[in-house]
Amino acid sequence: MKFSRRNFLRAGAGAAVLAATPRWLAAAAPSRQSMVPANSDPDVRTLAFRAIEAARSAGAAYADVRLTHTYVRSIEPYNRRAEDSEEMSVGARALVDGYWGFASGSYWTPDEVVRLGREAVAQAKTNALGATRVVELARVPVVSDGHWETPVAIDPFEVPVDEVFDYLNAVGIYGRALRSGIGVTLGCMFYRQEKTFASTGGTFVTQVLRRTGGGLQLDYRGNTLRPDERYPTSIISPLLKLVGRGWESIREAPLREEIPALVARLEEEWRLPTRPVEVGRYDVVFDARSVGTILDATIGSATELDRAMGYEANAGGTSYLNDPLAMIGSEEMGSPLLTVVADRSTPGALATAKWDDEGVEPEPFTLVKDGVLTDFQTTRESAGWLEEYYARHGLPVRSHGCAAAPSALHSTMQHPPNMALAPGGRQIGLAELTADIEKGVLVTELDLDMDFQHSSGWSVGGNFYRIEKGKKVARLQGAGLLFRAPTLWKSLAALGGPRSLEWWPATARKGEPPRRWTYSVGAVPARFGNITIIDPTRRA
Amino acid sequence: MRGGGSGPRRLLDDARRFLSREECEALGRRAIGCATEGGNTRIGIDTWWSGELRWGRNRVTLGSDRRNNEIRITRDIKGAGASVATNQIDDVSIRSAIRAAERALGYRPTSPEEVVDPPMSFDYLSPAIWSDQTFDLAAPARAAAARALIEPAEAAGMLSAGYIEVRGSGRAVVRSHTPTLYASYTQAQCSMTVRDPRGTGSGWAGLSSYDWGRIDATALARRALQKCLASRNPSAIEPGRYTVILEPQAVHDLVQYVVRALDRQSAEGGSDPFARERGYSKLGLHVIDPRINIGHDPMHPDLGVVPFTLTGEPVRPVTWIEHGRLTMLAYDRTYALKELHENLGYPNTSAYRMSGGVTSIDDMIRTTRRGLLVTRFSDIRIVDPTSILLSGVTRDGLWLIENGKISRPVKNLRFTESPLFMLDSVEQLGHPERVFSPDAPAIVPPLKARDFSFTATIDAI
Repeated sequence: MKFSRRNFLRAGAGAAVLAATPRWLAAAAPSRQSMVPANSDPDVRTLAFRAIEAARSAGAAYADVRLTHTYVRSIEPYNRRAEDSEEMSVGARALVDGYWGFASGSYWTPDEVVRLGREAVAQAKTNALGATRVVELARVPVVSDGHWETPVAIDPFEVPVDEVFDYLNAVGIYGRALRSGIGVTLGCMFYRQEKTFASTGGTFVTQVLRRTGGGLQLDYRGNTLRPDERYPTSIISPLLKLVGRGWESIREAPLREEIPALVARLEEEWRLPTRPVEVGRYDVVFDARSVGTILDATIGSATELDRAMGYEANAGGTSYLNDPLAMIGSEEMGSPLLTVVADRSTPGALATAKWDDEGVEPEPFTLVKDGVLTDFQTTRESAGWLEEYYARHGLPVRSHGCAAAPSALHSTMQHPPNMALAPGGRQIGLAELTADIEKGVLVTELDLDMDFQHSSGWSVGGNFYRIEKGKKVARLQGAGLLFRAPTLWKSLAALGGPRSLEWWPATARKGEPPRRWTYSVGAVPARFGNITIIDPTRRA
Repeated sequence: MRGGGSGPRRLLDDARRFLSREECEALGRRAIGCATEGGNTRIGIDTWWSGELRWGRNRVTLGSDRRNNEIRITRDIKGAGASVATNQIDDVSIRSAIRAAERALGYRPTSPEEVVDPPMSFDYLSPAIWSDQTFDLAAPARAAAARALIEPAEAAGMLSAGYIEVRGSGRAVVRSHTPTLYASYTQAQCSMTVRDPRGTGSGWAGLSSYDWGRIDATALARRALQKCLASRNPSAIEPGRYTVILEPQAVHDLVQYVVRALDRQSAEGGSDPFARERGYSKLGLHVIDPRINIGHDPMHPDLGVVPFTLTGEPVRPVTWIEHGRLTMLAYDRTYALKELHENLGYPNTSAYRMSGGVTSIDDMIRTTRRGLLVTRFSDIRIVDPTSILLSGVTRDGLWLIENGKISRPVKNLRFTESPLFMLDSVEQLGHPERVFSPDAPAIVPPLKARDFSFTATIDAI
């Protein structure tokens, strides 16, 4: 039986909801292939300010609203599988007497946004009945009509799916033909989020944020070539890692050249003997990716100000920087070689945006300078918690633009910006850092676990190699890492130069209800002294 | 019940918080009506409302009200399948989602020999999964509950952080040629952490249930505070093998990994804790201590789950492990049709009850010469899936037991241990009780086990 629109509307008890839901933006393009009109459409502005007005007239001292329209396309060319998902949401946030309320939903209609504006105020007022709480929002310049997009050469959603299949399958066929027994698996993912932000301050900004990424994995199907089962048979290329770019990031990647390079890397692995790990302390060189992993898991998490203040205590945990005001400006985070800069304007990075989810234009800021803690990740609310320190140093109380949410369905909270370890002065890389090691360990592609204060680290994965006289002499079986963050960073002995800087995607889980946030971490390879190497699979 | 839950009272008054059975049915049928070129269409709908309250440092940081519809449309023609997801329910969006699914379907290779999904209609159970008290816990009531939780901690000079969430949801499966399945259900959770302001002690307590009325918030507040006060100024002990007394939450933190691994296909695939040798599982073999049963009865008043999966398979009572022997492994319908020549899968919902014994935690302590009392585990990671070797850390209260008494709080430890080993090294079992497990309900006993492996001390409190 076919249902006409009229039948449908009569059918449901909540027909009123549906009747009020012509997709008024999309209705203009009923035959759309993939996209609805851009969020710079004036109707979106009208919707946003309806919600703001509703919140203001209900008594909000401050309110903001976000509308997000998120598209994800994932493509698996070998099975010719393409999957689209779409989420439209709108969320209103209100501040009343120092208490926040938030309301969100999926209907972009004039009535619904008014309901959300009022509901956010009602939520705030309910909680404001309790003890007093003071929230002072750091000042932010008003942008009354701003627009920004992640610059891309080719919007991946504009590329026909068939073309994507053909392009990636051709690489697979090339790889399989190159050598018998080789399997090549490819896939990619495109992300696009249109985001609108408006606030009672008069700010109205729209952005289009894009990400493109994928995977290229090579598998040796036959077991005949490698020495035994302790050796890996598959390897993942770093070429298609997630970036804030377009289809060009995949088109420009030298995928064909990568396949023989991956084969060579596997065969190099197989030429190395394996040795059981000897638990002990070593000079250790980490590749850039592993340094990024450590940076993210330790300093990246520990310098989230809300976490450090205890607001995440019931969820992901707190921070080893447990007294921010006492520690900022003096706490020794590591060796004087350690400088960490956060920056949401790095081109191609995943948390890069012109404005954060509070309408703040982020500026680069230094979390750690020459080994000393100099700042925290902040929002308009949390920047004020450091007012005493900023005042003492003649610095303005300013949000660092770290308010974020995966979509408007979620309230904003503080999430990590892109951050990078400042490279060393000398133009050296992994090879040079390893060269003068007499007896030590090289670690690549490290996978880390931290405790809930981001201090004690323990590795569950990664490649560990024995280094003798600057050369890789063996793969270490079952090796892992055990460290305390401050001690580890104090043992930082040498850093790769600017040309060895690599950016890697990172994800963090935070909050209640939990949500994921994606950003980029930049790092150079580095050498550390006196690092404890353990066997993580060994029980006590 | 046939194909879904009976209409909860409140839904009739407040249809707008999430989509009703009628709305889901209409939405699904309309989508099916838009489909062209035959084949089967399946619309899975998760429609929900969530009322939330979060606090930190003894002050509410956010009260929120959120709603969403998660719609997954799957088209199947001649063994080829494709799906799309949207959260929009208007005509244009639904039509465009169906078209997107059909475009994606056009890329897919067909496989005529693939098992055809015959139309099914089964009798479904009607578990207890709806609570008016949960759905009616409005923002003012949540705020009052939070104040009652915060006050004792604040009065004791401690800092608390916590979270209350109540949800009302509908799950629908609308398919061509088959009656619609719909169930409405509620979920409630409450948890809190109390910390010493100097960061020298931390306590936690939490509970989840479909029914807010079954969560004693006052008891949770008392417990989290007591644990915080008793855990202050811990001293370090050496890692190593210890006899452990695990509170029910700590047991659940580990055993949930065993339950999730109960899968027949991966066991027969050979890389699974329940794999014997290539092609065979450990079905029928002893896997843990013979005193222990693990299973799930959806009709248990505290173990209700939505009685069908998103592919329409009914959830039935199951005993996974009986007297320590593996008696059942979960499988899906494709496997059932292909390997077992029956058309019904056996889903694993992750909800479970683990049987216990009669020993109280006090008695476990009294009979322990030297051991550790564990509140819960955190930051757990699978180190080796083939043996479910896990690593993680203790959190929110760890005490040393000496000569039958709790002697002092000790610093948290990292562990590296398999729950299968633990469940085979059990000395005593206590009375099973509900734990904090918001995604799937669980009833778990406290237990005492020997030789639990702790591998490092950590600084975190």
